[in-house]
Amino acid sequence: MSKSSDWDIERALDAMQASGLSRRTLLKRTGAGALSLGLVGFLAACGDDDGGGTSEAQVIPKAEISETLTFANWPLYIDIDEETNQRPTLQKFQREYGTRVKYVEEINDNVEFFGKVRQQYEQGNSGGRDLHVVTDWLAARMDRLGYVQRFDKEEMPNAVRNIEDAVASPDFDPEREISMPWQSGQVLLIYRSDRTGGELTSINDLFDPKFKGRVTMLTEMRDTVGSVLLGEGIDPEDATKDQALAAIEKVEKASRDGQIRRFTGNEYTRDIARGDSVAILGWSGDAVQLIADNENIAYSQPEEGFMIFTDSMQIPVGAPNAFTAQKMIDFVYQPEIQAAITEYVNYVPPVKGAREILQDRSPEVAENELIFPDLAQAHNFKTFSEDEEAEIEAAFQRAIGA
Amino acid sequence: MSFLQRRRGLLPYLLLAPGLAWLLLFFLVPLYYMARQSLEEGTIFTGFEFAWNFQSYTDAIANYDEQILRSFLYGGMATLIAFAIGFPLAYAIAFRGGRWKNALLLLVIVPFFVTYLIRTLSWQTILEDNGWVVNALQFVGILADDGRLLATTAAVVAGITYNFLPFMILPVYASLERIDGRMLEAGYDLYGTRRAVFTRVTLPLAAPGVVAGSLLTFIPAVGDFINAELLGTPRQTMIGNVIQSRYLELTDYPTAAALSFILMALVLVVVLIWARIVGTESLMGVEAR
Amino acid sequence: MEAASARALVAPVRHRRLLGAGRWLLDQVLNLYAALALLYLLLPIGIIVLFSFNDPVGRFNFTWQGFTLDNWKEPFGVPGLEEALVNSMEIAALSTVIATALGTMMALALVRYPFRARAATNFFIFLPLATPEVVLGAALLSLFIAVSYSTGFTTILIAHVMFNISFVVVTVRSRLIGFDRSLEEAAQDLGANGFQTFIRVTLPLIAPGVLAAALLAFALSVDDFVITNFNAGSTVTFPLFVWGAARVAIPPQIYIIATMIFFVTLVMMLLTVVQQRRAARMSAVRPEPV
Repeated sequence: MSKSSDWDIERALDAMQASGLSRRTLLKRTGAGALSLGLVGFLAACGDDDGGGTSEAQVIPKAEISETLTFANWPLYIDIDEETNQRPTLQKFQREYGTRVKYVEEINDNVEFFGKVRQQYEQGNSGGRDLHVVTDWLAARMDRLGYVQRFDKEEMPNAVRNIEDAVASPDFDPEREISMPWQSGQVLLIYRSDRTGGELTSINDLFDPKFKGRVTMLTEMRDTVGSVLLGEGIDPEDATKDQALAAIEKVEKASRDGQIRRFTGNEYTRDIARGDSVAILGWSGDAVQLIADNENIAYSQPEEGFMIFTDSMQIPVGAPNAFTAQKMIDFVYQPEIQAAITEYVNYVPPVKGAREILQDRSPEVAENELIFPDLAQAHNFKTFSEDEEAEIEAAFQRAIGA
Repeated sequence: MSFLQRRRGLLPYLLLAPGLAWLLLFFLVPLYYMARQSLEEGTIFTGFEFAWNFQSYTDAIANYDEQILRSFLYGGMATLIAFAIGFPLAYAIAFRGGRWKNALLLLVIVPFFVTYLIRTLSWQTILEDNGWVVNALQFVGILADDGRLLATTAAVVAGITYNFLPFMILPVYASLERIDGRMLEAGYDLYGTRRAVFTRVTLPLAAPGVVAGSLLTFIPAVGDFINAELLGTPRQTMIGNVIQSRYLELTDYPTAAALSFILMALVLVVVLIWARIVGTESLMGVEAR
Repeated sequence: MEAASARALVAPVRHRRLLGAGRWLLDQVLNLYAALALLYLLLPIGIIVLFSFNDPVGRFNFTWQGFTLDNWKEPFGVPGLEEALVNSMEIAALSTVIATALGTMMALALVRYPFRARAATNFFIFLPLATPEVVLGAALLSLFIAVSYSTGFTTILIAHVMFNISFVVVTVRSRLIGFDRSLEEAAQDLGANGFQTFIRVTLPLIAPGVLAAALLAFALSVDDFVITNFNAGSTVTFPLFVWGAARVAIPPQIYIIATMIFFVTLVMMLLTVVQQRRAARMSAVRPEPV
């Protein structure tokens, strides 16, 4: 099937979702309105600028191109030339705009990053950051709390033109005004084929007593809980709070019984490389790399379906070089640039045209279903109301022993 | 300086003032703010309000009693094991070291100039499921064939012990080394057997060092969370992990603050009990000379 | 009575001869135990040094793959490492100077000048040592949140000075306690005033203690993770860098830096030991004062 029909199915699914949720969304918005009043009052008391919903965020004014730019991101999420230890994309940006980019790989976990920067962002201080990359749910929260600025889309023609339809219009940011996808990824089963005695195909394999003490899951609530829900035959996009809590209980029990060894961020790569874990939940970009490094490691897109996530770039409040940051966002939406990034990080690019370029240059990347997946089996996690989300998150934190 | 000579009495206060001010401002005042935070209620979305909310304390104890108990248990075990390993080592160096005393002591201290985190990470490598340590233990039969060392309580306690071992060894060594040889001779004359000399002369004289060492080991051990994080599973979570995550990740400041105070209070209680048993002078390190 | 005391004399002697072999065994066991304990202490260091030579295939450096010297050619090859190290060194240097100065002054006051509330002050200085690092870090963060002060380099510095003061006081104090004041009195008899005595006599004599305290403070500052983690904002110090890197893949460069720190410290301390030996030998040679 051609790629465009895949995107069409996805778009149709999105449309169905959008209409089905409209009543719920209305209620949510009303509730959010009351909340944001209180929020605005609190923020005003702190002497901060108003923030509360997308419409409130400031649009970035026009300015000069700056000399420096600070870009906060996850580790191993941009291309590196391993000979020179330089980052080609950033070098190309410098050559075109004259801006030196300071790239800080300080984000290891969404919750952790939020806890770290919240206080600064609250005061309108970005801590020097001009760009940060966080997963969609956190991007939504950042916007809700008024921590990010609105894009001036006129300054981002490439982004407007080339963004993949599948990620162009999420429910929390339909016009992509406060977030712009960086990469997407899948949550997969990764396992040691030399120790599992065969192929693993189901999420429930992770609960197989044969692998007791050798299973790890992710600290990202939506990735773990979503996957477990899929294993139960429930679509995470429609799940109820109780279903989510039940899934969390299942995970907690497995952890207490010793089935699950631990909950990790990126460090699951360490355990499985060493053989300390045998079957885990992991992310597609790491899977590509792990498999390339070690023939005993294999992956599987679970038969029940898999979770996808999208990490997006945002410009925090108080960013000193916001205008230039927009240029960076626009820069990486050129297919050539994106192809180079994707080739290295092995995640799913949000830019049209990247695949075609890779088809000639690195066909194995272009054909890799981890990098260009069939989205029919992909699922998102439902955006719960703030209260329900808080309750689910609290339950999950308790389950993973925090 | 005649100014100071005339105002002799002022001198100690002048000397104390800057340091004391720093400690007051950055130790005591933060504790006040933390106390205030623990009595607040709310979330970051709704804002925090001071509300005399003692519930965070009761909730904290109710929800995290497991972790609290576990931390004290691990801390206690680590201290005991550190004593078991450290005392004989200190004894050997002090009494058998001879010319090599300082060099040996050096060997004890220097590993601890490598960053704490890196040391713990290397234990991860040493104890990995397919490493030679685990294989050897499985071969000998101590470990079951599918047993493991990493991600167990044993690994966490071993890690904590390792990381605070020199805090036990150094004070013990210091008091053992100070023991006058003539005391030992007198002891032999009086009691005859080595065992009696050991129990009646050496041990009591080493007591201040043992006391200091056990405190210096126990206190940080209880609050540690890195070993539990890197070497354990969620079933080994200690109170330090919870405080860390509540503050830095979940931004649940009231609970985290309440837990911090609970931890501090409990540690102080243990310290005071210990001080009662052994006498406060040895605690403060002030010599009764 | 006499028979009893005679028996008391004879029995231990016989006892001792019988135990002669046992004692030898006990000695050997003790030596073996000590040797094993030392080995246990040094084992992780060995692993660290070893892994600095690891030749990782691909991006993940967790299993031993092959020996290479390449890593050592580029000890700062990992982006961000150098900056983190520089931050750590700067903070350590600054906080050591400040903490040593403040702490030494406090130690002098506490040991030499009896004043009211001395015991209470002693206790107060002891308190930070008795507080778990998690609590110290969290409390400071509470302060900075409450006054809306952004965390970063300055807050890390403040934190490091804070916990170092107590260590410096304790270290210098134990040195001061055994201090012989007669030298100072002699200087004053010779006509020096208080200030001159301090600079020319006291300070040089307590210098080793102060130096030891400074070294301790420096080491504690470079190594601190917990308190720094709470108060760092977006500044990265070396331990924070390791923590972040450990999540993904520990580049060999980290092991290299650790090994370098290890060897540099080893050499520094060996030098101190040698210097001490020499000083001891020299004082042995110098004639005893009449």
